[in-house]
Amino acid sequence: MTAAVGERRFNAVARSRVLLVLFIAVVLQLTLGAGVRMFGVHPDLMLLVAVSGGLVGGDERGAMVGFSAGLMADLFLQAPFGLSAMSFTIIGFAAGMFSGTILRASWPLVLAGAAVASAAGEILYALLGAGLGQSQMVSDRLSPIVGVVAILNGIGALLVVPVMRWAIFPKTDGGVRRRRW
Amino acid sequence: MAVRRPTRPRFVLLLLVLTAGTIITLGYRTQANGYVGKLKGYASDVFSPVQSGVLDVFRPVGDFFRGAFDYGSLRKQNAALKAQLGSARRAGVAAADQQRELKALTQLENLPFAPSLHQIAAEVVDTGFGNYQLTLELDRGTSAGVQVGMPVASGEGLVGRVVQSNRSTSTVLLVTDPSSSIGVRDGSVIGVASGQGLGQALRVDYIFPPAKVKKRDVMVTSGLQAGLFPPGIPVGRISRVSDHTGDLQEDVDIQPLVDMSSLEFVDVLVWEPPSTAPGAAAGTASGSG
Repeated sequence: MTAAVGERRFNAVARSRVLLVLFIAVVLQLTLGAGVRMFGVHPDLMLLVAVSGGLVGGDERGAMVGFSAGLMADLFLQAPFGLSAMSFTIIGFAAGMFSGTILRASWPLVLAGAAVASAAGEILYALLGAGLGQSQMVSDRLSPIVGVVAILNGIGALLVVPVMRWAIFPKTDGGVRRRRW
Repeated sequence: MAVRRPTRPRFVLLLLVLTAGTIITLGYRTQANGYVGKLKGYASDVFSPVQSGVLDVFRPVGDFFRGAFDYGSLRKQNAALKAQLGSARRAGVAAADQQRELKALTQLENLPFAPSLHQIAAEVVDTGFGNYQLTLELDRGTSAGVQVGMPVASGEGLVGRVVQSNRSTSTVLLVTDPSSSIGVRDGSVIGVASGQGLGQALRVDYIFPPAKVKKRDVMVTSGLQAGLFPPGIPVGRISRVSDHTGDLQEDVDIQPLVDMSSLEFVDVLVWEPPSTAPGAAAGTASGSG
């Protein structure tokens, strides 16, 4: 279902590339992400990186990418510090459980998989936040946030998934990158 | 033969979730003035120049598309007239834009509702990072004297308060954010206004009937004991009052006087909440004033 056990760990090149992707994602979220709005909601690039990391790299690497992406997102949010890290870790892991199925399929399934995982990520984030005393996170506004983030992240996955494949599987891990998606 | 799932991924998941839980606990215990606040400040200071640079790079791209749009609307005119007209229009738009900025800045120079407070003018450089908090990023931080807890106003009225202050930038929680609560009054009637989201009216609680408030009255900050805002800053105009007989409190909504979606310049009011309010200036996202 996922990559073989020996391929689970990041090598040094992959670690550097994932960090680079995370840095660029933060900058894009701070600049372009805030400007792209639909019904007052903008895409969640950091969540998209976590989901794509899981879809490409499998459960363990998905959890690691999710944790890193969440922690970086937490630096710029006024929500409890660590909340994004926790929810993105779980979503990255969950997305990774379906990586083999989805990535061997055509692009519509990648889009749908990223959209569903992003929607689940937003709901999990809001529920965990509410559990930590931020009850305003679960409100009427949650539905448009979940819907818009799912749509925008689903479309964005068509770009981010290949980038994450480049980051997680350097050419030395030949074979894996030959997958269609 | 059944394939046994390796346990290592689950162990990694558990480890990372526990780590995140520990970080959350530490964040709660240290609040904004602790390590987490400092870490956020460093991160913001590191990314701020990159953010400005990227915005500067992409601004001409946006201008290009706006220019292309204008060209389409003028395509029936001949080339010479189009060039002249385009030039004149650009000059006119630029002049109008400068006039608008000048007007906004002049308004900020003479805030009628906070004459005794020192003000720090700041430009709104961005909206917030996330979808769950309604925040603005300002181009002034601790180096300009901006501190956590300071109120932020525009020429029309209250905008919000500073919840994160870094060296060169700061973050403002808008009054419309669902976690924002403000003590308000209309004459002798006092209540607590809570945000309901961007573009939504604020809901005012704790106004007990028979209250002497009426539609179109302007409610201002009450500044009562341990409040997060000084008294007398206009917050919003009453847009709905419904007195249902027998209710314990009246349903009152106020429409913010400030259009939060089109802010360009604001004033940070140099005022600190009374130190008697526990955690008042600690940068938490909620609290009443």
